Order: sequence, then structure tokens, then C-alpha cells
Amino acid sequence: MTSGAGTPRILVVEDEPALRRFLVPTLTGQGYQVLTAATAAEGLALARSHNPDLVLLDLGLPDQDGMEVLRQLRLWSARPILILSARNQERDKVRALDGGADDYLAKPFGAAELLARLRVALRRTIQTEAGETVVAGGSLRVDLARREVSLEGRPVHLTTLEYRLLEALVRRNGRVATHAQLLADVWGPGGAGNTHYLRIYMAMLRRKLEADPTRPRHFLTEPNVGYRLELDASEG
Amino acid sequence: MDTPARPILVALGSEVRALRLIQAAGRLARERNAPWLAVHVEAASGAIPDDLEQVQVWMQEAQRLGAGVQTVSAPTLAQGLADLTRATHAQALVLGRSRGRWPWARLGHSTADELQRRGLDADLVVLDDPPEAAGAERPGTPFGATLGTLLVLAACTGLAWLVPREGNLSLVLPVYLLGVAVIAHRWGQGLGVLASTLSALLYDFLLETPRFRHAAEHWPNLLFFLAMLLSAQLVMGLLRRLRLQAREVQRREFHTASLYLLGRALARSRTPEEIAAAAGEHIGRAFKAKAWLLLPREDTWQALPSPLEDPSLPPPSELAASLDLGGRQGDPLEPLPLGGAFYLPLTGTDRSEGVLRILPREAGGLPPRTWELLQAFAAQIALALERLRWLEEARRAQLERETERMRSTLLGAIGHDLRTPLAAIHGAAGTLLLPGDLEDSARRDLLAMIQDESERLAHLLGDLLDLTRLESGVLRAQKEWQPLEEVVGAALGRLERREGPLPVRVDLPPDLPLVPLDAALMEEVLINLLTNARRHAPGGVDLRAWSEPGCLALEVADRGPGVPEAFRERMFDPFVRLPGAGEGGVGLGLAICRAIVQAHDGTLTAEARSGGGTAFRIRLPLPGEPPALPEGAP
Repeated sequence: MTSGAGTPRILVVEDEPALRRFLVPTLTGQGYQVLTAATAAEGLALARSHNPDLVLLDLGLPDQDGMEVLRQLRLWSARPILILSARNQERDKVRALDGGADDYLAKPFGAAELLARLRVALRRTIQTEAGETVVAGGSLRVDLARREVSLEGRPVHLTTLEYRLLEALVRRNGRVATHAQLLADVWGPGGAGNTHYLRIYMAMLRRKLEADPTRPRHFLTEPNVGYRLELDASEG
Repeated sequence: MDTPARPILVALGSEVRALRLIQAAGRLARERNAPWLAVHVEAASGAIPDDLEQVQVWMQEAQRLGAGVQTVSAPTLAQGLADLTRATHAQALVLGRSRGRWPWARLGHSTADELQRRGLDADLVVLDDPPEAAGAERPGTPFGATLGTLLVLAACTGLAWLVPREGNLSLVLPVYLLGVAVIAHRWGQGLGVLASTLSALLYDFLLETPRFRHAAEHWPNLLFFLAMLLSAQLVMGLLRRLRLQAREVQRREFHTASLYLLGRALARSRTPEEIAAAAGEHIGRAFKAKAWLLLPREDTWQALPSPLEDPSLPPPSELAASLDLGGRQGDPLEPLPLGGAFYLPLTGTDRSEGVLRILPREAGGLPPRTWELLQAFAAQIALALERLRWLEEARRAQLERETERMRSTLLGAIGHDLRTPLAAIHGAAGTLLLPGDLEDSARRDLLAMIQDESERLAHLLGDLLDLTRLESGVLRAQKEWQPLEEVVGAALGRLERREGPLPVRVDLPPDLPLVPLDAALMEEVLINLLTNARRHAPGGVDLRAWSEPGCLALEVADRGPGVPEAFRERMFDPFVRLPGAGEGGVGLGLAICRAIVQAHDGTLTAEARSGGGTAFRIRLPLPGEPPALPEGAP
């Protein structure tokens, strides 16, 4: 269910006027409805009153930590939240993602990158509702209902753990998954801390499912954060 | 105090004791916070003229310690000193007095007495020479020596008794002469004199005896006898003096040699610990004592060699004060005794470097004859410590200059590299805002330029931040065991998504071990190296890795024009660009790469590649075993 007459409503919580000046015309130009807030308090109030379809949240706000805003939003809203963060702050990114954020954008980012992430994040809500079970990108095809994976039309055999890892990535549908989230999804609570397990299985998945494992197109690494399954990648 | 303090005078001749006088006067001056003046009187009636060169040395030494110097001519020493004391309104006059054996050494004595008689309005501080000879006497219990003397005399008398009744009495003389000589040699001059007297009395007694009665008429014999004894005394005195002199020469030689050895050991010392070791060894050898250097560290002492098991040691400020002024009486060369140990200040040319603590191993402590050498040792050690401090200061100053130079280079480069894209962006934006239509293609060009330049700016700022945070240690490598393949994949993927397909040949053996690294930082390194290689070598890049004992090697090699030998190390410095490198980059990339690799305890070097081109080689250490693999993993 999207609000209004089918045009998604986006709340931008960002204290920098220059960024707001860039974000507002970019988003409205793409047909989104845009609400802006310069402080955490204002952002939380607007979120309650307007129930936006997506929140773009800057972690560095003047009145309150962005993490706190994220926590309060997640108390009642399951709508996608995108974090805007500075480069090199992987720790903050991981904290925000593990705290319920859907994805992040590292500043500085371009309009194309922003819009692509927005689409992925909004699609999540749509798709969850549609209950689609087959995803495909490039030569890779995954059927979640039948637990089948094929590459260039040929079925690929995966071990149980490899398949669970792939499934965990597919379910995020283009959004980044942190190491901790993937470990919990695949190995359960006992997997915490064994990040190197995850890396080894990811390497095996790449060898089976990537044309060139040293130039992955689908199984992308977000260094020190996690992984992202990219199925929209244009085939170079 | 309104009026300036009245000065303190010290009278210096050429004698060795001048050193003591200088130190005593300097100490008095510090104690009373008064200026001091070293005075040499050229006395017209001086018994023996002073060695002027030596006087000059002492005057210079006094000057070095802060004294004024003055030389005056006067009829007598006392006259000159008295006149000068009155003229300068001196509050005290320091001079020496020896109990010397030589006539001129008693000059001070008489001068002091004469000055006292003149009733000067100044304190007379008279320093006696230390009883140097006291220790030189052969020790022996007075009782035993006396008994020995009596026995020898008795033996002589016995021998005399054997002389035939009618024999010549002069035969007895050599016997007594020999006895007195033996006594004087064996038990010292005092008993020698006693023995002479006793011999004379015994001789008298012998004359009284009936046995030699008729000899009494030969009274000139008695005179002869006395003359012989006297000459024996004289000879003995001369002998003794010679012996003392020889011993003194020996002592000086020992001093010179041990000072030389200490000096050589100190010259080789590069740390305070080494200085302490050298001092301990040589003091231990020369004085049979243990030695420590105490270096003040705020409120406590750092003892070298540590530990110093002496909790009663006063804090630096107190001990330094009592060493410096102390209100100590007595000889200025004497080390400060404190709880069984002795302390000497280590004073360099301009300030105190610390304190020397001596703990004698033998019961006798430190006899006065060792003080002078100890002070010389202390002076040498102080100079060595001072030399170290100066070296350290010079090194620090060098480092500061280096940092300063680096900072100004950085500022200049940053200023230029920030301003250029900003100027372009600003200009382009201004053009776009001009009224009137701009051709569509021109508009797009300007906009693209704004985007490119702002990206360059963002990149530069990111690099600068990274470098600063890496070098200041704020940014630490968060190392996790992982396959190298993943980092290579992330770097290549990011580069290709940004810039299109890259001609990079990747050769990673499938059995490469896991390596602990910070994926985000190492990706940065690879992206920088690959971008560099692509910029300078269009022919393509080889990326390969292999494992070596204890480390993992990774190489990014190109077939470009290569890097001149002189630049292969320098190009890792910030803002160093290869000559003819053209546009793009500000010379931070390689500096960041090296900083990151170093944060991994690894090395990054550039080498000439055989067949042309450059190979950047990273070696990352593999500490210990990688963590266990999950079950079922290949």
C-alpha cells in the first residue's frame, strides 16, 4: 500500500541546507512527493503525521543522534529507511543497518546512485506484498519456492549452507546485508563472530555463480560492512 | 635588599688547592646570593713567583662558575688582599692555609694571620688543606709501635753491651744509628724522634755505667753521637718525603688512567643506561664502591641501574638543594653523606644533570684522598649526560624542522590543488547563470566539468582525511581473516563500475591462505595502485599474489615507462609527483597506500620490472594460524 495517488512520499531528514537544496528538486523531478526536516524532532513529528513511504535519514543531526531517530522510527514503522553517512564510517553504517536501516548512501553520492537505491528500497515493500519467488538478473536465476538455482540456463548444485546464504541475499533483494545479519540468517545465533566462515562461503558461491570470481557482478562486497546481491547490473 | 649584596672574594694562587677555594667561594656566594670575585695578587715580595699559566687556568675556572676575576699588584699578599677587600666592601674573603712542608706553602698561613691582625670588616674563611698525608702513614697500633721501638732500642743496647770493656765507644754509634733508622722507617718519624732521644739517654746511661766509665772522659763522643742521630733524622725525613712524592705520582697516574678509561667508555655510551653502566664499572674499580645515577623525573628519581633499594632518598628538589648549597661545612670536594651512601652533584655546563650516588663496599667509606678523583669522575659523567641531552635536543629540533617543512609543503600543495577545481567550478557555475542562451552542448560541457571537478575535490579531501587519520593513528586497520580474492574483487568491481572494463590480468592461486586485513583500507590501496598503473601504463596491468613463508605477497605490475631509481622511494612521500606525470592525481595516492600497508605491519615497495615497467609489491604478514574453517568447507 503506497500513500496518496500512487506517488511515493519521501521524508528527507537532513540538516545541511545545501544537500536539501540538491535532494528536493532531484526527488520531485522524479515524481516523488518530498517532505523535509532539518532536525531529528521535526523529522520524527513529520514521520508520525505523514507516514512517508521512505525516509532518507542523515546520521549527523544537530539535536539528536540519527541512530536514536532510527530506533524510534523502527518502534512503529516498517517502511524503508535509507541512511546518509560520510565515507569511511563503516562502523556507523553497520550499526545503522543492524539497527534496522535498509541501506545506506555514502556522501558524496550522485543523483543516479541515489535514485537507484531508492528504487531498490521501494521495490522491497512492493515485492514483499506481491510474494514473488523467482528472481533473475543477467544469466543468474533463483527460484526460491523450488529451491533451484541456474546459471545460463544450466542448474547449479549448491550445498545447503551455500543455498541458505544465497537465499538470505536474495531476500534482501539488492539491499546490503551486514555480516552479522547474514551470519544470523545462515548459521543462526551460534554463527556470530565467525565472519571468516561467511567470507569463505561467499568465495565458494562466487566461484559457482560468477563468470569471473575476481570481478563479481552479482555478489558485491561492501568492505567492512557486508554483501549486496546485485541483479540489475547491466551486462558489460 | 636595596643595596647590592657585598661581594665575596677568593684569593687564588697557582696551587692545586685553588680548586677547593673556588668551589668553596662559589658555594658561599650562592648561599648568600652575592656576587663573587676571584683575585690573584702579584706580590712584589712573594717568596716564589706563582706559575702564571696555572693561575690563569684557575681564574678561568672561577669565571666559568660565574665569578668575576681581578689581578692586582701589591707589595705583599696580605697588603693586596686587605686593600681590595676594603675597596670592594667585600663581605667575606676566602683563602687557603696549608700545613705544608715547604716554606712558601705557609704563606697563606701568615697571610691569614696578618689579615686577621689588620681587623678587616669581612669574614675570613680560611680553608685548611685536607690531612692528605694522614692516610699515607703506615698504619700500626701505637702500642705495638712503641713496644717495637723499645725492643729495637733494647736490642741496640744489648749489642752495645757486647762491645769489649776497653773498646772504642764509637763502635756503639752505628748500632744505634741503624736502630733509629729502622724505627723511623718502620713506625714513622714521631717514634724515630723518640728513639733518637731515648738513644741519647741510653747512651748517657751507658756512660754512667762502670763498664764505660773511663769513656766518659771522651765527651766529644756524645756530641758526635748526637750529630749522627740528627743526620739520621734528616735522611729519614728526606726519604719519607721521596716516598710520599713517589706515592703521589703513582696516585696521579692512577687518576689519569682511570679518568682516561672512564672517558673512553663514556664517549662510547649512547644511552643513559650505558653511561650508568660505564660509571658503575669504573667507579667500582677505582673506589671499591657501587654507583648509581639518579636522574630527576618530576617528583621522583629514576635510578640507573635500577632498582635503587633506598626509600629514604629525598625527592629531587630537596636533594639537589642540599647538594647545591646545603649549608654544608667542611671541604667543598667532600661528597654529601646520607644514610651510608654518598652523593655528588652531576653538574654540566649549564644545569644539573642528576646526582651520583656512591655506596662504598668497604667500611672505611670514602677517604678524603679519593674526593678529588670522584669529583673528576662526576664531572665527566655529567658531561656525558649533557652530551646525550644535547643530541636528543638536536634530534628533536631536526624533527620539528622536518615537520615544519612538510607542513608548509603540504599547505602549499593543498592550497593549489583545492583552489584549481574550485576556480573551475565557480567559473562554470557563473557562466551557466549568465543571462542569455547558451548552446546546449556548451551547457552540458560546463555541467560535466562541474561534476568532474567536484569529484576531484571530494577525492582529494577524502585522501587528505585518510592520510591524516592514518598518520595520526586515529584510523586503525580493523583486520579480519579473509580471502584476498574478495578484496581484489571488490576493488576491481568498484573500479569497473566507475570507469568501465579494465585491462587487468588477475592471477590468484585458488589455494591462497586467508590473510588478516582491513578490507575497506586494502581496497583503497588496490584501487590507488590500479588507477596509477592504468594512468601511466596503458598496456595493461598484471595483478598476482602468492604466499611466502610468514607472509602473503601481492603485486600490481605494469608495462609502463618505469620509474627512475631516484623516485622509487620518494614517490611514496605525500605530494611527490613523477616528473611528466601530467594531469590527474595530487600525489597522495601512494602515500596513502604505504600508510595503509604499514598499518597492517606490511611493506609496500616499488621495483623495476624485468622487461620494463614497474611492480608495486605488497607483503602482508601472516601472524600465526588462520582461524579454523567450518566443517564441510573445502
